[in-house]
Amino acid sequence: MTLKIDIKDKIKQNSSMFVNFIKNAITASPKVQNNFLEVTTKVAETALKIIKDADLIVDLNYKGKEFWSINRCKTSCFIDGGVDRTSIISSAPLSIRAGSYIVKPDATSKREFFEESMVFLGDLYDPKNELYDFVDDDFEEDQMLNKKKDGARIIFEAATIVKHILLNKKFDYCFLHGPLEATVMPFTVAGFPTFTKFAVENMFPFINKNSNIESRHFINAYLEALNYIKKSKFPIYGIVETSNSAPYIKNLLFNYKIKGTISDKDYNSVIKTIKKYKITDSHILEIILSSGQALKPLEVKKQLAGFTVTSGSAWEEKMDSFPKVFIGYIKTSDNQAPVRIESLNYPKYLIKDYEYILGTSRLLPNYGFPVGLNVVDKFAKIPNWMSKTSRKYYATHLLRQAIKNKDQNTVSLAVKILSKKSRSWKNRPIGGISK
Amino acid sequence: MSKFNNWKAIGTVLGETDINEYHFSLKNYKAKKGDIVTTASRLPSTDGTVIPVTVWGKISSIERFNAFFPAEAAQELTNEDIDIRDTILPTTKDELRCKVIILGYTEDGKEKISKLLPLNYPVMPAAIVKYPSSKDVEELFISDLDSSHPISIGNLLARKDVEIKIDGDNLISRHISVWGMSGSGKTVFVRRILTELLNLKYPSFVLDIHGDYLGFVQKQKKYFPDNKVKLFYPNLSVRAEDKEIVYTLIDKLGNTLTDPQKDFLNSLLEKIKYEGGSLLQYIKLLNLKAREFASSGSTSFKNVKPASMFVVARSLRIVSKKLENMEQTNARHRRKMSHLKFEELPDSATEPEKIISKGQMSILYLRGYENLPASAIVSIVLENLFRHRQEASEEIAPFFTVIEEAHNFIPSRSENKDDIPSVDTIRKVISEGRKFGTGVMIISQRPSRVDETIASQCNSQVVFRIVNQRDQRATTRDSETLSNDDAKQLPNLANGQGIISGQIVNYSLPVQIKFDEKLINDDIGNENFIDTVENWDDKESVKLRKKFAKDFADINEIDSRRAN
Repeated sequence: MTLKIDIKDKIKQNSSMFVNFIKNAITASPKVQNNFLEVTTKVAETALKIIKDADLIVDLNYKGKEFWSINRCKTSCFIDGGVDRTSIISSAPLSIRAGSYIVKPDATSKREFFEESMVFLGDLYDPKNELYDFVDDDFEEDQMLNKKKDGARIIFEAATIVKHILLNKKFDYCFLHGPLEATVMPFTVAGFPTFTKFAVENMFPFINKNSNIESRHFINAYLEALNYIKKSKFPIYGIVETSNSAPYIKNLLFNYKIKGTISDKDYNSVIKTIKKYKITDSHILEIILSSGQALKPLEVKKQLAGFTVTSGSAWEEKMDSFPKVFIGYIKTSDNQAPVRIESLNYPKYLIKDYEYILGTSRLLPNYGFPVGLNVVDKFAKIPNWMSKTSRKYYATHLLRQAIKNKDQNTVSLAVKILSKKSRSWKNRPIGGISK
Repeated sequence: MSKFNNWKAIGTVLGETDINEYHFSLKNYKAKKGDIVTTASRLPSTDGTVIPVTVWGKISSIERFNAFFPAEAAQELTNEDIDIRDTILPTTKDELRCKVIILGYTEDGKEKISKLLPLNYPVMPAAIVKYPSSKDVEELFISDLDSSHPISIGNLLARKDVEIKIDGDNLISRHISVWGMSGSGKTVFVRRILTELLNLKYPSFVLDIHGDYLGFVQKQKKYFPDNKVKLFYPNLSVRAEDKEIVYTLIDKLGNTLTDPQKDFLNSLLEKIKYEGGSLLQYIKLLNLKAREFASSGSTSFKNVKPASMFVVARSLRIVSKKLENMEQTNARHRRKMSHLKFEELPDSATEPEKIISKGQMSILYLRGYENLPASAIVSIVLENLFRHRQEASEEIAPFFTVIEEAHNFIPSRSENKDDIPSVDTIRKVISEGRKFGTGVMIISQRPSRVDETIASQCNSQVVFRIVNQRDQRATTRDSETLSNDDAKQLPNLANGQGIISGQIVNYSLPVQIKFDEKLINDDIGNENFIDTVENWDDKESVKLRKKFAKDFADINEIDSRRAN
């Protein structure tokens, strides 16, 4: 009873729970709305019982001054990628980069170092400066364009980690902003282009130069990269601010189902409920964990074949061969949901490593996220002014080409392409009698 | 070949520019606020060709920021007493962004740096910003000043080796205001100007309240052997035409009078004609006459009862007493400096050449006088001197007047002291002075308390440290060339550092005024009162008084004892 009251109180104090509640209020039926709090409370109670049974909660230690006097000798690397947000249909200009912030606080010289580890500025289809192989697309949807950008960013981030390993960097820690292993299912879509030979050779020199074109597909190249990263001598963690799914809770329940502690029926029913109410790890763990507490990692299979991957296909088999990911959580601050910690190996020094993540997050007390990742995020981000400038430049170039052509239809097309996203004056309905 | 190529690159022009200002990213520690910088540009010329030019500007502000240092990290560092260098927070990502006010451009390809011309085409974004050599900056200033009588006042604040000169001709004809808190450097600047005017043999008339300029008298023989430095004490002499000033003085210094009493005073002034001479004697005469009329029950004044006449007589006695006290106070101060030769101020109406003469500086030592009598004296003297310049005979040479503590002589309308006699005189001198060569320098620590019309007629300004926001606003209100960025700098200026602007320099420049230490008045002392008290010993008279006081106390004590 006490447990129930305690959790209910926590829910009331918990801002992100109410955000979700409001989301449900907008999207779900009235019945779902009414049940939301009660259901979440019940799921949290059950999850807490299982977590306690599995002895997964650990208390982390942090005393500001003492912590930093001990850890000032550590060399840490923080990695993040940035993509420009230029949105132009057709052959889009693209700029992507991945940056590293490397810092050793007690170093006498070169205490900190900002490195633009991977940069690409060019056009997706420019044969002289290409990232992906040219594909003869019948249609070029925004969705595909965004997928290409995402794919490029993910591969650049992985390539940055690979580069540090290849250069034999002596890091005590390496952190990636975002999941260490991204979900690859979106890239299984038919027609997704392969990277050029040049790009793959430069990013991942260990991939066999003579291998076939398939090896340059995102999924194959990424798998190779992750397998390489898994062998790293220094610990590498992916840090995710908010979880939009519930991999930890689902896997925990799954493990208990396998052990026979939970019946198949109960398991299926609770998984259905979690999906129905869009309950995520963040929501549950935010009310279970207190500030400075962490959950020991669980091994999770991240790559699950969705509807785009046909059962028994080559992609399904490939996705099965991706390494499993160890997922843990740390509640770094009273105000924020726990951050997700991903690694490809079980942490050798779990408590020390998690305490380091907690310590670096305490420097952002309100945001509750490792400050080094905040720093590298600002460094790697492609600023708006750069995106805007490249868009302006591209627009001018396109219009000039069209005007040179002297064909009215080409000019109209150019104008439409440029104003696709906004309701430009050029596309306004014409009043009066149409011609 | 342009000199531009020889200067060091210190930054890059940012974003959008216009013809008045631009921003640039500065290399660490390569320039300071107030520095002069350049950038190469190309302009369309009047004949349609494009010409290469050098655009000159002044750094008016510098922002330093570390976008990689989150504000909330500071909270944790403070709460936990953590040294940032122990943490993973970045310490080297500072960025410097400078705002540059464009001064103008010079054409390239000329042997000498020409006069600055107004820019009419924006500088190029992404252009290199360079740091010109001190020699070239000085050359620019001299060529731009284009003055036949340049006066050296110090150096550019940001660069010790760049001498700053002002235009002497504009200084003495177009009027100048000098603002700044007490001890900020106003007097240092005025001494500098007066020194240069002595060197030019240009006459000056200084209204000295505190004795700040007596150093000129002390050191005249040594440093200005070819000049005369005269030291005057006030002589309250009036003429028949000064009736209004006399009335105001009596009205303000004496008791408050009722309307019938004021009528009597007016009639008295009409009746008792005065042919000129000492004001004190005149007031004493008025007092005597008022008493006589009151005692005799005179009926020559309509509706004025003898009682009212007595009140006026009493008021006149108070005024004469006050004037006597002021004269005595001034004399006491003069006696302390017995080694200096004080002369009675000659009659400015009849002997103006004794006050204004080529190569002469005249100092009127006003210490001890209250504002109103001091204002009356200044009004009478300046009125006379100005009249002599106005007249076709031109009995005196053009001269330059220095008015210290100007808020006492030309108070703002908001002070409700419009009837101060010197306001109208100075307003007239300043508005017509350009024609007649009677330039004025007004000096105050409270610019907001100075008459706005007079202040705004000063075409040049020197502003030293000012903390009071009302006074800061007043400085920008009265100036056409002092920007808000300049005003922001005012509270942070150190002693002797000021911003000079207006027609004497063409644009506002932060300067360090040259300190003429040799001209300090040795008699003023260093105001170290703690040392004075430490070495204090009572005078013999005081010792004696204390001794007697003890004796009398003993007598009183015995006297008050109860008898057995």
